[in-house]
Amino acid sequence: MINVTPTMSQSESIDLVNLPTEKTALEIKNLDLFYGSKQALFDVSMKIPKGQVTAFIGPSGCGKSTLLRCINRMNDLVEICHIKGAITLNSQNIYDKSVDVAALRRRVGMVFQRPNPFPKSIYENVVYGLRLQGISDRRLLDEAVERSLRGAALWEEVKDRLHENAFGLSGGQQQRLVIARAIAIEPEVLLLDEPTSALDPISTLTIEELINELKSKYTVVIVTHNMQQAARVSDQTAFMYMGELIEYSDTNTIFTKPKMKKTEDYITGRYG
Amino acid sequence: MDNMNLNKHISGQFNTELEAVRNNVLAMGGLVEQQLSDALVAIHDQDLDLARRIVETDLQVNSMEISIDEECTRIIAKRQPTASDLRLILMISKSVTDLERMGDVADKLARMVINSNNNRSQPPLVSLESMGRQAIKMLHDALDAFARMDVEAAIQLYHDDDKIDRQYESIIRELMTYMMEDPRTIPQVLEVLWAARSLERIGDRCQHISDYIIYCVKGKDVRHTKISDLDSI
Repeated sequence: MINVTPTMSQSESIDLVNLPTEKTALEIKNLDLFYGSKQALFDVSMKIPKGQVTAFIGPSGCGKSTLLRCINRMNDLVEICHIKGAITLNSQNIYDKSVDVAALRRRVGMVFQRPNPFPKSIYENVVYGLRLQGISDRRLLDEAVERSLRGAALWEEVKDRLHENAFGLSGGQQQRLVIARAIAIEPEVLLLDEPTSALDPISTLTIEELINELKSKYTVVIVTHNMQQAARVSDQTAFMYMGELIEYSDTNTIFTKPKMKKTEDYITGRYG
Repeated sequence: MDNMNLNKHISGQFNTELEAVRNNVLAMGGLVEQQLSDALVAIHDQDLDLARRIVETDLQVNSMEISIDEECTRIIAKRQPTASDLRLILMISKSVTDLERMGDVADKLARMVINSNNNRSQPPLVSLESMGRQAIKMLHDALDAFARMDVEAAIQLYHDDDKIDRQYESIIRELMTYMMEDPRTIPQVLEVLWAARSLERIGDRCQHISDYIIYCVKGKDVRHTKISDLDSI
């Protein structure tokens, strides 16, 4: 008997509500966030599965970046910001008083919209986090550089000029370097805040392909303005609107038969 | 399908998906071909077990149509295919409809074997066989042309269809004689006539697949074009 082979290995739809603990990388529980008196996130609850790519989409100001920043406590840097609710990373509440924020950020790496390499060599950019951890063994550092650059699909392009300044790289290469820097310290979760919005279409596709490879080792959470990008790279998609999580489901469902009218309107370009 | 450069996308995932959906169409086509071939055997041997198996397997053909169409929908939603990729997805979605209908022909022939077994008088089913073989060969060639995205092979199919049409006409003449000689056989003969008509339609459906192949490779919509004009593309 001939059976049709499924084409979308990444799209096995999973039960996001009853996701078992061992498959959950992050759980956000009843999260409210205020900037001063203005509430920016309203009772957001979701489970982010391990080893998959989860995308947050929504119009500007819907809170998707704010939510992403909560995951490695970047919002701590904003004085007027305060939070109710919890986010657990492998069953530990990251907002617990005992949590060391620097240690948390080693476990949860982040890549921003614009490539932000340090004004140093390619090599030094990658090992920056390791040096901060006090690692100075040359052999360990060399290994980490090759492993991370390979992981970020950049090794072949830069292996002969590791000690040149990182600013000599193209925008797309710089962004991959920043990803290499983030994965050098082997985080559990990688947060990507619009990682390709400053890049050309081909570099964008290269990064997207990289994201697909990264998920075998890391849990990836990506915020993107580009809906098509969310469709291409993610396994799960969360649609947010005015600080609320409207719909969260596997990407195939969101982009072929969303349940909520608001989601449908947004992804079909009928919003606003 | 090397001329389609299916494996040259930056996104490896996209390559895999296109390759898989294409393979699934070939698998479905192969199954339909097998079904038709089994149906002819069932007619020839009046094999009831085989006929029942064909009817059962047709459900599988139907579900393949649905799942391939779902894959196409997902690929359009998630990958936003353009140019040759978009044409490939569109042609696949249309081809599976035709393949499913061809599968229905096998189902219909099998049911005819099952029903005719209850009747004492045997309708002249055997005359269908040669035309059936021709139709199966055409389907085989169409799938082959699809696998290789071969425009010339696709054009050849238009010429092959003429042969089936001529056989169909001769079967009709034969069946008319049958009916004139013994009007009591008319109910059975009519059934055979319908079967012949569905086999003839297989040729037309294979031509549709040719149309889609040419559309996919050349980007030209050649539906409703005369054969003489086709040779110039």
